[in-house]
Amino acid sequence: MAEALVFAVIWLIAVIVAEIGFHRIQAHSMYYTISNQGHIALNAFNFLSSWLLPIFIFVVLLLIFVLIRFRAPDNSPKPSSVQTMRNKWYILLWVGTSFVLNIVFWLHPTAVDLETMFANWNHEQKQHPLIVNVTARQWEWIFSYPQYGIQQAVNARGQDELELPVGRPVKFFLRSEDPFHRYDVYADVIHSFWIPAFGIKEDVIPGETRTEFLIPQRVASYKTSPLVRVQCAEVCGPGHPYMEAPLYIVKAKQFHTWIAHQKSLQAHGA
Amino acid sequence: MRDMTQAEPRNDPQPKILHMAPIWRGFIWAAAGFIIGDLLTVAVDPFRGNPLVTEPSAVVGWVGALVGWLLGIGGYEEVVLPLFGFPSTWVEPKNWRRYFGLSTSHKVIGIQYLFSSSSIFLVAGLDAMAIRYELMQPSLHFFTYSGQYLAAVGVHGSLMMFGVGTVAMISGLGNYFVPLMIGAKRTVFSRLSGLGHWLLPFGALTLIASPLLGYWDTGWRGYEPLAMQDPGGMVYYYLGIFAMTLSTILTSLNLAATIIFYRTRGMTWARIPLFVWGILTVSLLNLIWQPEIEMTFVMALLSKLVPWNFFDALGSVETYLSMFWLFGHPEVYIIVLPAIAMWNEMIPVMAQKNLFARDWAIIGLIFVMMLSGLVWAHHMFTNMRNSEMFPFAFFTEMISIPTGFSFMAAIGTLWKARLRLTTPSLLILMSLFNFLIGGLTGVYLADPPVNLQVHDTFFVIAHFHYTIIGGMIFTWIASMYYWLPKLSGRMYNETWGMILAVWIFIGFNGTFSQMFLVGLEGMNRWVPAYPPYLKALNYDVSLFAFFLGAGFVGHAIHIIWAWRKGPSAPENPWHAKTLEWLASSPPSEENFPGEVEVVRGFYRYDHDKPSAYIVKDQPESN
Repeated sequence: MAEALVFAVIWLIAVIVAEIGFHRIQAHSMYYTISNQGHIALNAFNFLSSWLLPIFIFVVLLLIFVLIRFRAPDNSPKPSSVQTMRNKWYILLWVGTSFVLNIVFWLHPTAVDLETMFANWNHEQKQHPLIVNVTARQWEWIFSYPQYGIQQAVNARGQDELELPVGRPVKFFLRSEDPFHRYDVYADVIHSFWIPAFGIKEDVIPGETRTEFLIPQRVASYKTSPLVRVQCAEVCGPGHPYMEAPLYIVKAKQFHTWIAHQKSLQAHGA
Repeated sequence: MRDMTQAEPRNDPQPKILHMAPIWRGFIWAAAGFIIGDLLTVAVDPFRGNPLVTEPSAVVGWVGALVGWLLGIGGYEEVVLPLFGFPSTWVEPKNWRRYFGLSTSHKVIGIQYLFSSSSIFLVAGLDAMAIRYELMQPSLHFFTYSGQYLAAVGVHGSLMMFGVGTVAMISGLGNYFVPLMIGAKRTVFSRLSGLGHWLLPFGALTLIASPLLGYWDTGWRGYEPLAMQDPGGMVYYYLGIFAMTLSTILTSLNLAATIIFYRTRGMTWARIPLFVWGILTVSLLNLIWQPEIEMTFVMALLSKLVPWNFFDALGSVETYLSMFWLFGHPEVYIIVLPAIAMWNEMIPVMAQKNLFARDWAIIGLIFVMMLSGLVWAHHMFTNMRNSEMFPFAFFTEMISIPTGFSFMAAIGTLWKARLRLTTPSLLILMSLFNFLIGGLTGVYLADPPVNLQVHDTFFVIAHFHYTIIGGMIFTWIASMYYWLPKLSGRMYNETWGMILAVWIFIGFNGTFSQMFLVGLEGMNRWVPAYPPYLKALNYDVSLFAFFLGAGFVGHAIHIIWAWRKGPSAPENPWHAKTLEWLASSPPSEENFPGEVEVVRGFYRYDHDKPSAYIVKDQPESN
């Protein structure tokens, strides 16, 4: 019993220290997160971390405890002095805790967050979101803005880019097809639309149209954090590593300037 | 025993004396088989430009090669002749040569599997080293083409999964030790099992050769529709894995039947050792899910060759993903079940302490087996219907409960034990630590919002390497040390064993703990080139990876040295009570000098009474 008590005290102290340490860094546990959707993921990540830390510390501490306290002084095959085969309180506690924890985890964060996510989407749907059609082909991201009549947003050198106004809901329509080779059914493969800083990714599947809602929360670009980029996350052939595109999140005014610029580029056949 | 089907078996007056090692004859017959199948196909189905090898001809040629190979290594004399009523003319050599041809001895087969599997581990490991060398720089500097890198990734993953993960502990240690542990003298389908081993090197060589037909770039999962537009190497991915999984199916069929029907007297269900339970549950998993992936691969192969449109935009892309993961998730439990069973096999022995909550440990194995078929779609959170996330997140979280039972039993046994700190017990403790991290990071991945961020990143790579290397490979090495005295009659060097254990522990955790960070920082999978800000961490990961690789080689050298030159081991060096320690080391041809009768369970150390007796001069039975 004394050993169990010592162990429990050490465990408690270690858990408190670890939790304090973790709460200091938890805002950055996913490095850089700047969308409402991403914050759901970040909060879930942190919630799970702080609940799993005691379990992690329990087992690790126990292994260390075994190495120090329950190690045989020599390798002679003497039986252990304690030969317990059953301890109903320990079993009850273990099985009970693991059931309760898993149900908790399923209710929160899983079920709660999914419901929040879907509720956000419904809400954002009604707020006249900015619509961006995302077309994934081998190997390019093509962004078009149907509300503004922009077919392919590009920079001055003709390279694709994605620009979003900060604070406004965005609805992405994701399609995997090759607009230059529509006759070829073999040309389309699975891609995955990932913006690391937004904390979400969605596979883009040939023959299906997927949607994605979110609100960018901060003005940012690759220069702010390299996580601000569009990246294909599903292997899609040899060009996969290069299937990325720059993302700029800008103020509303700047966005409208950019739209005007895009229109003029388009009008001049860029 | 063998008198039912064969007229005059081994003692045929004119046994066939092979002038060539069976393995060489296998190679020659395989080459002949390939050429015949290939040329026939290109003659019937020529391609423009008349190349000698086309995708369909490579498939038919491969089938010819497989037939030639299996007949050549002894299948002709030992399987085909008896099948048509002729006496088998196959003679198994008595010396080391028996390891290089078809054998019906479960111990020979076990060692064949261990050798093949270790060789595959070496090849796939070198492959991993090449991958890590490439990733030391953010741009292509080692591989010459992105597809080449991706082919290396695919070959690495497929070989490790199907040639090591599902093989080393199940077909290797399982074939060798399961019959010994249940007091059997042979296995039920020993000839089939002997033939089955030779599918493994054949499948592995197929995969290793696959880049010759073109760099396939889907990774080990063969995702459609990318696979459909991939070069011909894809075909050998399907076929190589087909052969390797078939080998596993045959082993599982044989071992499950052996466990059910060939247990010795007194070996009741309540007394079956933990490792045997692990092999039984895993065999059932294999018998359910391996045929499923083979069927999927046949469909994908036909879809590519004909071509059909099963899995592209005209068919259903997601059907392939579901069919792959329907097998793919049980696969990881196939890999890890024997390992977590082995923890509780070794810990009571090393601690000389009663196994704590044995029934819970077994119930855990059984429930993991059953739940593992209900969780597959958590690999598809990024591409499934949102409503489907709820049930799959639920079952995925729930499967941690029975997995936890193994931890519960292990910890309960370790508590207040007198644990002998040997190399196997140290490796087991390390494996508990590693698998804990693998398991806990799995909780993050089970949560859809977190999953949507970390899916397809290095976070996932770190997670499954923690479960597979950290859980299974560490336990495999522990088991090799634990059973080395039984396999060879010799002992390893404890100091070197410990040093090497700590070595791989540092190498492993240094490599894969940092991969979690790389993943969280935005490193996606399947990229030989990546944004430069990720270089520092990747460089570090690679250094640890090389260190880890060297550590594995060190273990291999140490184990081979001990096997051949180590000091003689006592009969039962660990004072274990399971039946394999009743046999001599290494065990004789018939395993035991008489019939074994089990009288008690194997995990009690609160008394000195033996768990089983050998009854000599028993008349012929079963």
